[in-house]
Amino acid sequence: MGVNNRITIFDIINYTLFALFTLACFFPFYYLFINTISSNDLSSRGLVMFYPQEIHFNNYIEVFKIPGLGQATFVSFARTVIGTLLTVAASGFLGYLFSKPTMWGRKFWYRFLIATMYFNAGLIPWFLIMLKLGLFNNFLAYVVPGIVSPFFIILVKTFVESTPISLQESAQLDGAGNMTIFWKIVMPLITPILATIAIFTAIGQWNSFQDTLFLVTDSNLFTLQFILYRYFNGATSLATLMQSGASDTNLANIQTATSIRTTISMVVVIPILLVYPFFQRFFVKGIMIGAVKG
Amino acid sequence: MTKRKKWTTAAFAIIAMFVFLSACSGSAGSNSGSNKGNNAGTEVSTDPSQQSEITLNVFSNLANYAGEQPGWFAKLVKDKFNIKLNIISGGQQKASTMMAAGDLGDIAVAIDIKDAIKAGLLLDWNKDGLLDKYGPALKEYAGESLEANSKQYGGGTAVYAVGNNIGSGDGPSEGAKMTYGPMLRWDLYQQLGSPEIKTLEDYLAVIKQMQELSPKSDSGKPVYGFSLWSDWDGVMSVNVKAMGQFYGFNEGDGFNIAELMMTKADEAKWQGVLDEDSYYMRGLKFFFEANKMGLLDPDSLTQKFPDVVNKYTDGQVLFAQFPWLTDGYNTEDRLSAGKGFAFVPFTEEKVFSSGYNPYGGTWHWVIGAKTKHPERVMQFMNWLYSPEGVQEATAGPKGLTWDIVDGKPTLTEFGYQAVSNSVDMPAEYGGGKFSDGGNKINNSTLTTSMINPETGEPYDYTMWSSYLNNKPDPVTKSWREAMGAVTMKDYVVKNNKVAVQPPYFSEQAKAEEPSDIKQKKAEVGKVIKEYSWKMMFAKDDNEFASLKEAMVTKAKGLGYDDVIKFQVDNYEKTVGAALKK
Amino acid sequence: MGAKLNGQAYTTAAVKQFRFKEKYTLFLMALPFLVLVFLFAYLPLYGWIYAFYDYRPGIPLSQTEFVGLQWFTSLVSNPYQMEEVLRVLRNTFAISTLGILTSVLPVIFAIFLMEIKSPSFKKIVQTLTTLPNFISWVLVYSFAFMLFSVDNGFLNNLLMNMGLIERPLNILASDNHTWLSMTLWGVWKGLGWGAILYIAAITGIDPELYEAARVDGAGRFRLMWHVTVPGIMPTFFVLLILGIAGFINNGFEQYFVFSNAMNMSKIEVLDLYVYNVGVVNNNFGFATAVSILKSIVSLILLFAANSLSKLVRGEGVI
Repeated sequence: MGVNNRITIFDIINYTLFALFTLACFFPFYYLFINTISSNDLSSRGLVMFYPQEIHFNNYIEVFKIPGLGQATFVSFARTVIGTLLTVAASGFLGYLFSKPTMWGRKFWYRFLIATMYFNAGLIPWFLIMLKLGLFNNFLAYVVPGIVSPFFIILVKTFVESTPISLQESAQLDGAGNMTIFWKIVMPLITPILATIAIFTAIGQWNSFQDTLFLVTDSNLFTLQFILYRYFNGATSLATLMQSGASDTNLANIQTATSIRTTISMVVVIPILLVYPFFQRFFVKGIMIGAVKG
Repeated sequence: MTKRKKWTTAAFAIIAMFVFLSACSGSAGSNSGSNKGNNAGTEVSTDPSQQSEITLNVFSNLANYAGEQPGWFAKLVKDKFNIKLNIISGGQQKASTMMAAGDLGDIAVAIDIKDAIKAGLLLDWNKDGLLDKYGPALKEYAGESLEANSKQYGGGTAVYAVGNNIGSGDGPSEGAKMTYGPMLRWDLYQQLGSPEIKTLEDYLAVIKQMQELSPKSDSGKPVYGFSLWSDWDGVMSVNVKAMGQFYGFNEGDGFNIAELMMTKADEAKWQGVLDEDSYYMRGLKFFFEANKMGLLDPDSLTQKFPDVVNKYTDGQVLFAQFPWLTDGYNTEDRLSAGKGFAFVPFTEEKVFSSGYNPYGGTWHWVIGAKTKHPERVMQFMNWLYSPEGVQEATAGPKGLTWDIVDGKPTLTEFGYQAVSNSVDMPAEYGGGKFSDGGNKINNSTLTTSMINPETGEPYDYTMWSSYLNNKPDPVTKSWREAMGAVTMKDYVVKNNKVAVQPPYFSEQAKAEEPSDIKQKKAEVGKVIKEYSWKMMFAKDDNEFASLKEAMVTKAKGLGYDDVIKFQVDNYEKTVGAALKK
Repeated sequence: MGAKLNGQAYTTAAVKQFRFKEKYTLFLMALPFLVLVFLFAYLPLYGWIYAFYDYRPGIPLSQTEFVGLQWFTSLVSNPYQMEEVLRVLRNTFAISTLGILTSVLPVIFAIFLMEIKSPSFKKIVQTLTTLPNFISWVLVYSFAFMLFSVDNGFLNNLLMNMGLIERPLNILASDNHTWLSMTLWGVWKGLGWGAILYIAAITGIDPELYEAARVDGAGRFRLMWHVTVPGIMPTFFVLLILGIAGFINNGFEQYFVFSNAMNMSKIEVLDLYVYNVGVVNNNFGFATAVSILKSIVSLILLFAANSLSKLVRGEGVI
């Protein structure tokens, strides 16, 4: 232990590099943030650089005034929680199943699964299938298609295979069934990877808007990201109007101000930042469990 | 034990949420059918507002908004028809999925009607005498458009669509400000003694002098003559194209698919964009010269449109191709201090303008074949095309934002504040800003510069005499005195500086673009865009010339001539032939 | 003896019976999920037929023009066109190769982060370095523009004030090092996020291994090299092979926002090309054709990389 407390040159370099990279990652975010709370006039002229000036919160007030935000936040929250639970459970379970060499046709089915990562049928066939499955204007469209995710299953399988097989075998000899082994033996061992998958899925669910764009027309099922995305992208339609030579004098009013666009990004990211530390505990915890057992 | 309890609670909460959401989506799934109770809308009362409440799904390729129509426009529609509008916002890909699904909702706007008809997705308005019974205003004010659409797409018997932006009469159909400028900083131009500008290239010297007068913007940043952006470019640079539009040439011909050529508004003349003497090439040269003189913003290549808007707002740019670019700079404060942009034409100018078109534009309004309420949809559409509907959709609810004063339509005190978005609308009109509560379908019906037969003035409130004479600011005043006209439109008409494109009608629909032409056009367009920008920023005349040669060679290699031939053939057969007569 | 034999036979049969049952039980447990995969990933593949038509949404295929292999052959229809496709492929390969080379960075990041003793510093680093991942490319570009624009860009202002340059540099509109700068933007955005996987893998390493090595007198670097690295190698190899298989899928958003006339010839990767030529024009046939080609190439690469892994490491990942 004593050895580890000595500060070496390596430590200094290591800390410095991490500090610099962290700064490089944090600064743009900080920069965007201080611009959202500084005077829009100064901000649009590029005069807000290192610290906020003439602080105000009008941009946030404007964003919170966008109609339907409350219901949309609820839907986003629901799809994130439900979707993440389903995906994590399925990934853990399937990863475990595919780690069993005894499974009938394992190799084939595993490849059957993984191959799907590399092809894409295109928008319209996908849409028509979703429609046929009754997933139009249906909350399930947010959570069901993502349940089986090949990438996560690969991660879990790799992880399970790196854990000692002896634990599973001895449990099997004790007469434990597959489900019991999965719940009692495997699950605690793979917590870190499940936590990772949970983060990945939760962020993906929280940020996704494409499914809403194509599959939902009922405003009760709009997600936060979708509403913000619509707002964010006002400029695209403006370009379309212009291409066609529209003669509306108020064209420029359609443009969403940069300040609002930035604020929208902040509104999306800040909840993630608040939840993220909660997940980090799992990485530390994993070590603790192992340590106690050791 | 406590842990288990916690888990149980959590599980319950999640199940409850699930049930709630499924219930929610269940009702949503049957959204369009949620009015089964009212006999599928067959009972149509003579007073439309007395009918049961329904929600219409409106798919608009032009909408920026998704969800229920908010604000004052929603109230108008609810009060008059007991209808709620659920706006489904578009986008090319979204439109494709709806077409593929075979259901366009109750109303759709700006879709490809030819394919939609072929796929049987549109309602025939003549079925059951729908149009005759519920569409009197449509027939009165959009009759020619209905007839034209019927001939083009309905075999002369069925009516599937009505065009947008319908109008009739002579002269430009635009509002008080036209679509294309150019606008200059009027205060600086006056300081220079309003030098005469004969031809496009003459602007360069004038702008150079203006830049010397005002080298720094309000926040101390460098001032440029021109600041361009590339993120709107289709098959060519939007900003360069504008130079042709000053000369009366526009991309395409307004009827056919013809994006690689520019045609003259009022004469049977066309140019391929890569022709040696085309206005597009001249525009490239113009910006190249501007760059040599230090007048072109070096960020033009990399910035996006919002950055350009910011630069105009800060006063970093002196020339505006499009009048609406100047809204950010022409604030009340600056205008009352005598600073602002105004229209400064050149002698040769013949600005491109669309004439009134009784057949309407191509952003059609259609009714979905699967609608459950054809009668009520028709009633609502009829109102959108009636003078009353157009007037209220443009200027807001009568009695609130405007009224008739001394026999003339006039914005109320509140109206003036509301249309500049400086006050919120009253709570009973949904609150929010005036612009937030407007029609979110975002498509026109009748041209708003037309005269409203009920008021004797245009629908567009910015063209009302009361509005024009309401405390003009010093810039406007000075401009009116110097130019001898009230508005930009007034000036170009009086001085014959406008090329008005006459409406075109053919019983035949436009020719379909063969698949190989479509792909060649995309490849060629990419080359033209890329080299256009390189040419504007070329280091010297030699580089400019060699880039130009490379552009032409490459574009031709990728099939430029084939595309032009296809486009010209169509033009000569249709619009071109009509203009020759 | 006979009794013993009998007993043995009985046991073997039981085990066999058990194994036989387990074989199918395991499969049956996976079956519902495989059905989902079939529904959401395989069933839509019927849409590949659009690649042979001039498909227009809503219109039945029977009324649609059959174009055969036109969309496939159009890629190589004439020398100019071929040159375009080669250029696009060159960009794709260059950027992907750089991407694969930089895929070790998250590994290094994770390993060295574990060497940070201060828990709070570690937590801050881990949280803040994931931030760029949450900002859309559109906003990343607007930030990049603020930093590097000619007119009042942060960097140009700095360099001019220090007297290092006389004329501002137009960094964003340059085609020098486009591939490298795109890779670096990608690293900046994805490094902290990508490292999470390896951090999780390190967390899963049995602490006893560290103890044992420490008892053997291993120092910090030997611990890293002999315990941590082998511990995360399986994860790294899996990701590497998946990365190789995804060689031609660069995505398009990043390149789309950063592209301009000056760097277009270097930045246009396959996905951006398909967007520019196919998607923008609603050309579903063309987009589908390229998508089919991409799938085939990806699957070939996947199995090739897997075989290579078997050859080199003695085991594949799929």
